[in-house]
Amino acid sequence: MGGWPFWLSGFAIGLLVVLFAWIAGKAFGVSSSYGSVCGVVSKNSFFKNKPFGERWRLWFLLGFPLGGLLSAALAGRLHPTLRIGGFETLFGESLVVKGVVLVAGGFLIGYGARWANGCTSGHSITGLAQGSRSSLVATLGFFAAGVVVTQLLFLVLGGTA
Amino acid sequence: MMNLAALLFGCGFGFALSRARATDYDTILAMFRFRDLHLMGVIGVAITTAAIGLAIVRRRARHAVLGGAIDVQPKPVQPGLFPAGLVFGTGWALSGGCPGTVLAQIGELKLYAICTAAGILAGTYAFGIHRSRRAATRTQPAPPAHPSHATL
Repeated sequence: MGGWPFWLSGFAIGLLVVLFAWIAGKAFGVSSSYGSVCGVVSKNSFFKNKPFGERWRLWFLLGFPLGGLLSAALAGRLHPTLRIGGFETLFGESLVVKGVVLVAGGFLIGYGARWANGCTSGHSITGLAQGSRSSLVATLGFFAAGVVVTQLLFLVLGGTA
Repeated sequence: MMNLAALLFGCGFGFALSRARATDYDTILAMFRFRDLHLMGVIGVAITTAAIGLAIVRRRARHAVLGGAIDVQPKPVQPGLFPAGLVFGTGWALSGGCPGTVLAQIGELKLYAICTAAGILAGTYAFGIHRSRRAATRTQPAPPAHPSHATL
């Protein structure tokens, strides 16, 4: 599958966080961009106020698929797929089940990220890099649930991946 | 200019997350099962690099290169952070994605990630509606409050 070693990956991400702050003056955080998308279609004032009302967040969001596309193309593995590796040993190959689990999982991510005022990028990387207490608490929650839910999934559904 | 910079930085982050294998379901799940700590290493090095770099930027730069203040601050401590984190982490484990990596997955043509992204949008929207409804009821004089809502 390839990819960069952990130290190079981590250094690249960390360096981008620093350059983004220095050049654009912005904090690396992705979940707010979803609020900006909501602001495009919703008149609700929650999505019109800062941080969601900031126009650049929509462009930031658009950049991610471009980066993923570039990475996959350069690695010669740009093939459309609906397969999710070990997911299928847990939940089976039914596309309906796949869709339901992913939409439900996504919903919890979106709701939780807004409630926590940040996600893995804003809290676990940018926040922890500033020694922020709120980010530490949120990150402990992210990982605690991640570990427990994953262990439960494998225990109950008996995946082999 | 800011929009172009945001697009390019988004592209850079998407590329790096893809190369870090953070967009790979099995890599995420292997981290939560302590089978492969690659991603823990990625996050650890990213935090360290960003911590050192941000400290330097704070000391040396008075404003951003593109103009304006450097708007990078710790997020405020607020009630509910831990349970909110648990909700997020549950979704993270179920989908093997987070807000940034899901977008990069779509670019990699992992088409199922469109479902995850749609779910994230719906969850974000639901929270916004929930929050503004509560703000509205709070400004009204003494609504017949349900105890479970009042303590949230």
